[in-house]
Amino acid sequence: MPTTVQTCETLSERLSAVVLKRPTKLGWFTCIAISFTGVLMLNVAISWLLLRGVGVWGINEPVAWGFAIVNFVWWIGIGHAGTFISAILLLLHQHWRTSINRFTEAMTLFAVACAALFPLLHLGRPWVFYFLVPYPDTMRLWPQWRSPLVWDVFAVSTYFTVSLVYWYIGLVPDLATMRDRATRRWIKVIYGIGALGWRGSAKHWARYEMAYLLLAGLATPLVLSVHSVVSLDFSVAILPGWHSTIFPPYFVAGAIFSGFAMVLTLLIPFRKIYKLEDVISERHLDLASKVMLATGLMVALGYASESWMAWYSDEPNEEFLALNRMLGPYWPVWWTTMTCNVLVPQLLWWRRIRISPLPLFIISLLVNVGMWAERYMIVVVSLHRDFLPSSWGKFHGTVWDWATFAGTIGLFFTLMFLFVRLLPMIPIAELRKQTVEEGKEV
Amino acid sequence: MPQLFQRYTNTLAPASIVAVFIALSAAVWGMHAIIFSPYATEVGQPVSQVVPFSHQHHVAGLGIDCRYCHTGVETSAFAGLPATETCMTCHSQIWRDAPMLEPVRQSWATGQPLHWNRVHNLPDYVYFDHSIHIQKGVGCISCHGRVDRMPLMAKSETLYMRWCLDCHKAPEDHLRPKNEVFVMKDIVPDEKRGVALLRAEEIDKTHLQDCSVCHR
Amino acid sequence: MSDPLPPANSEAPLRDEDEFAPGAAEWPEDLSRRRFLQIMAASFALAGGACTRLPHGEILPYIRQPELLIPGKPLYFATAMDFGGVGHGLLVRSNEGRPTKIEGNPDHPTSLGRSSVHAQAALLTLYDPARSHAAMKLGHPETWEGLLGELLPEIEKWKESAGAGVHLLTQRIASPTLVAQIQQFLKKFPKAQWHFHDAAFPRSPMPVTVHLEQARVVLSLDAELFGYGGANVPNALAFAKARRRDENISRLYAVEVTPTFTGAMADHRRALSPSALVKFAQDLVVTLRDGSKSSDNWSAALLRDLQKHKGQCVVVAGEFQPPSVHEAARQINEALGNIGKTIDYLPAEASLPPSGLPELVTAMQRGEVDTLLIFGGNPAYDSPVDLPFGEALARVPFSVHHGLYPNETAQVCRWHLPESHFLETWSDVRASDGSESIAQPLIEPLYPSKSAHELIAVLLEQVPTTGYDIIRGAWEQRHKTDNFENFWRKSVHDGVAALPMPPSAKAPEPAAAPAAKAEVESKSLELVIRPDAHVLDGRFAENAWLQELPKPLTQLTWENAALIAPQTAKANHLEHGDVVELRYRDHAIRVPVWVLPGQAEGCVTVHLGYGRTYAGPVGSGLGSNAFTLQTSDAPWGGPGAEMHKIGDGHRFSTTQSERSMEDRDPVRLVTADKPAVEVAREDLPETTETLYPKWKYTGPAWGMVIDLSACIGCSACTIACQAENNIPVVGREQVLRRREMHWIRVDRYFDGDNNAPRLLHQPVPCMHCENAPCELVCPVGATVHDHEGLNVMVYNRCVGTRYCSNNCPYKVRRFNFLKFNDDHSETLKLMRNPNVSVRMRGVMEKCTYCLQRISAARIDAEKEKRKIRDGEVIPACAQACPADAIVFGDILDPASRVAAMKKSARNYSLLGELNTRPRTTYLARMQNPNPEIG
Repeated sequence: MPTTVQTCETLSERLSAVVLKRPTKLGWFTCIAISFTGVLMLNVAISWLLLRGVGVWGINEPVAWGFAIVNFVWWIGIGHAGTFISAILLLLHQHWRTSINRFTEAMTLFAVACAALFPLLHLGRPWVFYFLVPYPDTMRLWPQWRSPLVWDVFAVSTYFTVSLVYWYIGLVPDLATMRDRATRRWIKVIYGIGALGWRGSAKHWARYEMAYLLLAGLATPLVLSVHSVVSLDFSVAILPGWHSTIFPPYFVAGAIFSGFAMVLTLLIPFRKIYKLEDVISERHLDLASKVMLATGLMVALGYASESWMAWYSDEPNEEFLALNRMLGPYWPVWWTTMTCNVLVPQLLWWRRIRISPLPLFIISLLVNVGMWAERYMIVVVSLHRDFLPSSWGKFHGTVWDWATFAGTIGLFFTLMFLFVRLLPMIPIAELRKQTVEEGKEV
Repeated sequence: MPQLFQRYTNTLAPASIVAVFIALSAAVWGMHAIIFSPYATEVGQPVSQVVPFSHQHHVAGLGIDCRYCHTGVETSAFAGLPATETCMTCHSQIWRDAPMLEPVRQSWATGQPLHWNRVHNLPDYVYFDHSIHIQKGVGCISCHGRVDRMPLMAKSETLYMRWCLDCHKAPEDHLRPKNEVFVMKDIVPDEKRGVALLRAEEIDKTHLQDCSVCHR
Repeated sequence: MSDPLPPANSEAPLRDEDEFAPGAAEWPEDLSRRRFLQIMAASFALAGGACTRLPHGEILPYIRQPELLIPGKPLYFATAMDFGGVGHGLLVRSNEGRPTKIEGNPDHPTSLGRSSVHAQAALLTLYDPARSHAAMKLGHPETWEGLLGELLPEIEKWKESAGAGVHLLTQRIASPTLVAQIQQFLKKFPKAQWHFHDAAFPRSPMPVTVHLEQARVVLSLDAELFGYGGANVPNALAFAKARRRDENISRLYAVEVTPTFTGAMADHRRALSPSALVKFAQDLVVTLRDGSKSSDNWSAALLRDLQKHKGQCVVVAGEFQPPSVHEAARQINEALGNIGKTIDYLPAEASLPPSGLPELVTAMQRGEVDTLLIFGGNPAYDSPVDLPFGEALARVPFSVHHGLYPNETAQVCRWHLPESHFLETWSDVRASDGSESIAQPLIEPLYPSKSAHELIAVLLEQVPTTGYDIIRGAWEQRHKTDNFENFWRKSVHDGVAALPMPPSAKAPEPAAAPAAKAEVESKSLELVIRPDAHVLDGRFAENAWLQELPKPLTQLTWENAALIAPQTAKANHLEHGDVVELRYRDHAIRVPVWVLPGQAEGCVTVHLGYGRTYAGPVGSGLGSNAFTLQTSDAPWGGPGAEMHKIGDGHRFSTTQSERSMEDRDPVRLVTADKPAVEVAREDLPETTETLYPKWKYTGPAWGMVIDLSACIGCSACTIACQAENNIPVVGREQVLRRREMHWIRVDRYFDGDNNAPRLLHQPVPCMHCENAPCELVCPVGATVHDHEGLNVMVYNRCVGTRYCSNNCPYKVRRFNFLKFNDDHSETLKLMRNPNVSVRMRGVMEKCTYCLQRISAARIDAEKEKRKIRDGEVIPACAQACPADAIVFGDILDPASRVAAMKKSARNYSLLGELNTRPRTTYLARMQNPNPEIG
């Protein structure tokens, strides 16, 4: 793989070229065509849902939450890596983050966008969603503040807003670069508007650095808060398998776990296609895998403590639930979860695997699957057998459940492809800065 | 290389931010204005009827008691509208061939009911009961306004839930002695009298704001 | 193979056109672009609903306001219903002239203010859009005059022939006037013949009245004391009284084939195949007579118990048992001197004609029948397979069918005439205790229909022919009183006539000698045919409430199945859900197998009333037709049935998939000597264990107690609630998805050994928890606590997150996953209770303790400046309950009945360990086992 010495000049040239000079290949069109089909399918699924009601999904009594919530938690989880990398690692002076932070931030935004769809769609009467928002209405009513769903509204929207602003601020200098390097006037204008008249003056840089740092500080607690709040949707309830104090940390760990899995799932192909192996080097893969390994172990600890508590609490319902997960009608879900989230990541102890793209790619895919299965286990398997045997039941996703899920994946990738095509996926300015500061190749 | 943007963009950029804020607040204000506008609330908007019945004439002019026509008001949830028979008790004698009353005579002759347009129309999930309000001393005009000044009937209140709750929170300001319930005169809010009436009527305020009072 | 197999339920078409559940199917059957746009437009209109004007309604006042009627105030009228030839006294609520709810008449001696599943469901039949709308001639709409045009000449002919070749076919008749009219007809046309056919209420071998309250020991020989039919309501109430006594609690032994309500209530239950049951009964007589040692100690102990209570015990034989069993029961009762004390033997049913369907069909085949007048019933569907009524009818030139529905028989008759529903016409009935009631109409006939009285009056060429004049005239003749006007008015008003009529308690002449016991040895599979508990012989197949009501002990809805015991299943290598070809006497049906614990070994039970072709949009094409297996000599089955597996994996539309209690003891049991219920698995938490402040109650604090030792599991509460609260029916497909909407469900558990389980029932409404888990998770405050402790559900605030349902440990909340409520059918709009919101798609709903009734009572009380009296508020479930098992009231009022019951040692909270502190609690089920039986 080519290792050229990076100077500011070459960096700007190469990275902007990815967007500006590189001809749009047939491959790109095929990819976006496929993913956009997913978007169309999503539209059909949503229209049908609004037309007939949430009954088109498989939900029922007792399993009143199904795919919608599973997907919501899954996407939100994926949406964690970006801000974690760009904010927390920035504060921790992890310079390796620079090559991938832009990319992961974008991923975060798109994932959260997909996630945010579900709470809306899963409402029985989505057209009155605004009842969840505090506003002076004609009924003199407020939301019911004790409900975690209300906290969700704030947590998710705040997280999305901050991530968006953070991402955009980071983009400004690069948009300026694009503006200056673009050849056609209208392209210049478009990037120019985004660049907000950035001239790279010392004053600009000073303010930029300050703003960026402040936002990082602001985003950091959010990374931890969002999924904690999401986890409260479950742990506040009295249901065995939900009512558990370990949920917040265990959800956050799981989120970062799945987030990094998705980062790898995307990075590995992209760096290959766009020949960025030297910028996104083995070191990045190695470090990302290490984070995965660490968070994966935390998640494993979470599983372990759940089972332990079930036994230790001697609470019959908890005990039953633990066994029901392993041996009940939904046993494959539990075993998938354990295989993908606990066993498979153990391979990452070996450096060889951590730096070889293909195995890493496969592992990351498996982890994504495993995390979805975990959420399915938490939502569906806990609900389908609760307290009174008389009300036990089963749940199966209908074709519309799957269509909606697949549709959001399509949406996610469509946005992703547009992003790499229209914006610099590697933060040029930061890399330049780094090369100058460190004076050595990235 | 020519300048990409003119000088004015420097002012335009910050201005746009302000503009967005203004637009948003304007939208909110506009929404509010519409919801409370007579167009949406229909307050003070006379409703056309097959027979242009004038409460002003019958109540202020002739001094007919509300209960003469709205017979259910003291006993039932629904105040009731007069049967054609009730109209004819008088109008078989007076204004016997006033063209205005043709529909009434028609209804009497053919046995087809008169079609009155609703003026006060609550949603189906609201269960308002006239009788208990009358019994506890809420005057007609508290909700229906000075019908004795209405040539054509019109809403005088929004009937929004917040309006209901205002009274259910503090009924004392709207209570009047039993003998004044059907009287067409505004009451001057009187703290002491209100509390006295509240006690006299044994009104338990605690459950007045329960959802279950109006919604089933 | 003599006949084509009717389709199994699995092939039953997905009925999207089912008007009771529009859009209840997942895939669009017919969704035109136009419709799509319409709905889209509608939903956008809703989306913008916040700032759009309400639509203007109209108000149409009366021309002349009827007296008594105040718009907005309901009126109540006493009437009565003929159910299987037995009268039920009813009290019907009328809102602005629309009957909207049926209750039992408190003044009526047998209904005692209580009602049954079928009395409740009769309301839906009245408004069923599928009822026949007009007279039909050979399937084409005709007029009443058109019929007269053909009928009158016929009548002239009868006069000449003295009615030769004229045949009447009726079911059981509860109306003395109608019977009298028929007698009149037979007198006028002496050669005419009257036949009787009733597949659900056959001629009883030995009609009896049982006095369960006097009985200390009860032995049921497959008798369904509490099931559908004659005296279920008084029986249930009497038995409940006998069970609630402080001492001398009665003991119930049940020997039965298929689990019944009686068996579920029994202290000792034994499942025997029909032949074994016959043997058991006869052995009992023998051992009792010659005092010989009985074979097993179970029956020995039973005998000793019976002998210990001479004159205080009773043996009851089931309606569908052969005469030999009835004779055995009679001999035992005679020997123990019970007759006249705990049981009365009624004279053989004189009101019924001797001749039945076989005689009629033979006559038809011989071509001797020129005119056939069918009053009600559906012989073309519900006649035994060896009596080809349909074919025979082809040889009858002039046939008239008079019924509520254009059913199978209406299709093959020359004429069909719509019958008036009992709420549309005047009639009279005689109840199981002989008391007479006048049935007055609450509404003008919805369609151009006639009552049987009116039709026969025409046949008799009588004037006048209005129901009122007929009934009044008949009563004036029958009951000679000096002041008839007062007597008549009082009888109409009270709903029961003031004339004592005790049944003559003379024992009937001994029945035929006990049948030979040859079949006992038969190792072959025995077939058991019974009418379905809800749709009976199919006459209620079109009633969606009854179709969706979970069937006793299977919790099955919308279909029937072949019920077999677990051992039988193992022996035949069958599994729950296998589809078999059930063959009996070279006729066969295809039916799915249901493995039912408590079913007798070596026999298979199928229920009648399914596989109908002309029931209507609701009832057609469901299940399998068991009449295909019924023969006139063995109407209730016999040995020699075969099952061959031809498929598997049938998905039953059941509302409860689990059988056992999983060691969670939702149902607690106590005995007389240990009446205190033992506490939950862990001690109940302190009521202070909550972060939130305790509620303070100034007014009443509503609560409910459900006595499990009284509850017979009949589900009358479920359907009463459905009628009162505008609860929609969702259809089979949605039940398969577990989306049924019943606000109060009756859970059923099989406790202990799967081969001889104890059968338990438990009604579960909303518990109205003090610490309600649902309340604090609702993001919009759509479910909240009110100041009377109700856990109220505000539909118009609900956004449908369903979080409350997830967090409800009792899973009593119901969600409108789709648009379940029908707003197309005009007649169904008339049926709705105007004081309960009709819920839209996407909102949660649940039991409200009948909030509308509480509000009404509260308003009345506040007008009169008094407290609400105990018993002034009765929820629909408590009002309907035939066993008085549900008691509701103010738990803070120490004088209230509910407060007293909550003090009982048997009182316990369901899942109390969760500290939800439910307002609805249960009284543990009192068992009274015989110590001699281990």
